[in-house]
Amino acid sequence: MFNVIEALQFEFMRNAVFAGLFASLVCGVIGSFVVVNRMVFLAGGIAHAAYGGIGLAFFFGIPYIYGTIGVSLAAALLMTAVSVRAKSRADTFIGVLWAVGMAMGVILIDLTPGYHTDLMSYLFGSILAVPSRDIVWMSGLGAVTLFITIFFYRDILAISYDAEFAKLRGVPVNLLHFLFIALVAVSIVFIIRVVGLILVIALLTIPPYIAEKYSRSLMVMMVLSVILSVIFNMTGLWMSYTYDLTSGATIIMVAAAGFFLSLGADHIAAFFQKS
Amino acid sequence: MTHGDPIIQVRDVSFSYNGEPALVDVSLDVAEKDFLAVIGPNGGGKSTLVKLILGLLKPDAGRIRVYGEAPVKTAHRFGYVPQDVNINIQFPISVIDVILMGRLRYGGRRRINRQDRRKAFEVMEQIGITGLEGRKIKDLSSGQRERVFIARALATDPDILILDEPTASVDTSGKTELYHLLGKLNETKTVIVISHDLMIVSSYVKSVACVNQGLHYHPSNEITEAMIEMGYQCPVELVAHGQPHRILKPHTDV
Repeated sequence: MFNVIEALQFEFMRNAVFAGLFASLVCGVIGSFVVVNRMVFLAGGIAHAAYGGIGLAFFFGIPYIYGTIGVSLAAALLMTAVSVRAKSRADTFIGVLWAVGMAMGVILIDLTPGYHTDLMSYLFGSILAVPSRDIVWMSGLGAVTLFITIFFYRDILAISYDAEFAKLRGVPVNLLHFLFIALVAVSIVFIIRVVGLILVIALLTIPPYIAEKYSRSLMVMMVLSVILSVIFNMTGLWMSYTYDLTSGATIIMVAAAGFFLSLGADHIAAFFQKS
Repeated sequence: MTHGDPIIQVRDVSFSYNGEPALVDVSLDVAEKDFLAVIGPNGGGKSTLVKLILGLLKPDAGRIRVYGEAPVKTAHRFGYVPQDVNINIQFPISVIDVILMGRLRYGGRRRINRQDRRKAFEVMEQIGITGLEGRKIKDLSSGQRERVFIARALATDPDILILDEPTASVDTSGKTELYHLLGKLNETKTVIVISHDLMIVSSYVKSVACVNQGLHYHPSNEITEAMIEMGYQCPVELVAHGQPHRILKPHTDV
């Protein structure tokens, strides 16, 4: 316990904790939506394509955040439009945008003289180097995500479970679908900044996957995902601090351990139910 | 609209999926308090016809009016039970939340309130699934799931109830029960039932539409020799299980 208090003396550690909590909140809520809608691949596509935005931002010398939000939103909307119109071709299209986004990012950074960003920090993030002004942005995004989710909860539930029926009930299915995908895109951009692209995918999928099995409603699933996410994040952060390991990778390993534990527990439960 | 006018009018409607015709030049009138069975082979366009009437699909040609209006404007007057009640089966959702979907945007966007819950419990009782409200949808039998979806449709307070193959996952005694229930609901509502298992075990059915790209309408629940001679083109073994009890053998396309 002593070294937790000691660690929190540092501002970067407090920011890291806050960033971890923020990422947990957004990933738990948005991730549940992504998982129940079977859109993990789409989320992965958005996250990777966002790298094109980083290249774009460096090449044109515009702020990083505009480049990534712009590109990931554009990619997200394009992918969704294709999913809505031609469902059968959507996965191919997402795969293409995924690759093109990354390639564009790499080439644009090649073409930019001088400063070269580190691909590793994009992949694994730098939760220990979150500047204080980002905390403000995160609080805002967290609040917006919560508000939209609570306000549209029943609609989102209906769209995710049975879009056709929702449409008959007068729910603006396509509009809300796009709104939520846009929210996914913006969230991904912010979370990548702190925890990196690989951790985004892990946090978007692992906690909701575990939570889904034990939840009798989407709301419970979201809350449970957030809690699991917080546990994974804080445990990972603490371990990375104590054993001097890369934070993003450590958090992922903790989450993965949770994932396999839950799988194992299910198999044991199934075994005892049978016998 | 004067009394006795059809509440659903389908006029010369055609629809195709990517150039593959599903329905060609189809016309149909459905009267108020009708109990219409839509039968025909798999892939014959039954579900397509229903989705056109619901306004979920738009016809390539022709016109559909429901209560004299375009279908999209009247969508809220339908209680719809989709064909596949097992879709999204792993979804973390309880029975009550599925049924409450039927109260969604009931009279505009608003929060689900106590009346909505009361209505949900009312239809659950009506449909015989009281006590299941807290169960996860995944933990139900498919027969129970079918009932939950019917309850959801009833929770919308529909004028027209449309069921797409409601008996597909129900056993024989369940089917009889279900049709009995639909017969009762038919006292106050128009009922349209799609079925591809052509055993329409029902004396409740008042009219039959055979759909196989084209549509042939029979304004009674019996198939007469004359109808067959007229050459209705459904490869059908239709059972008009009322009085008289009659089973027809399959007939060839004309």
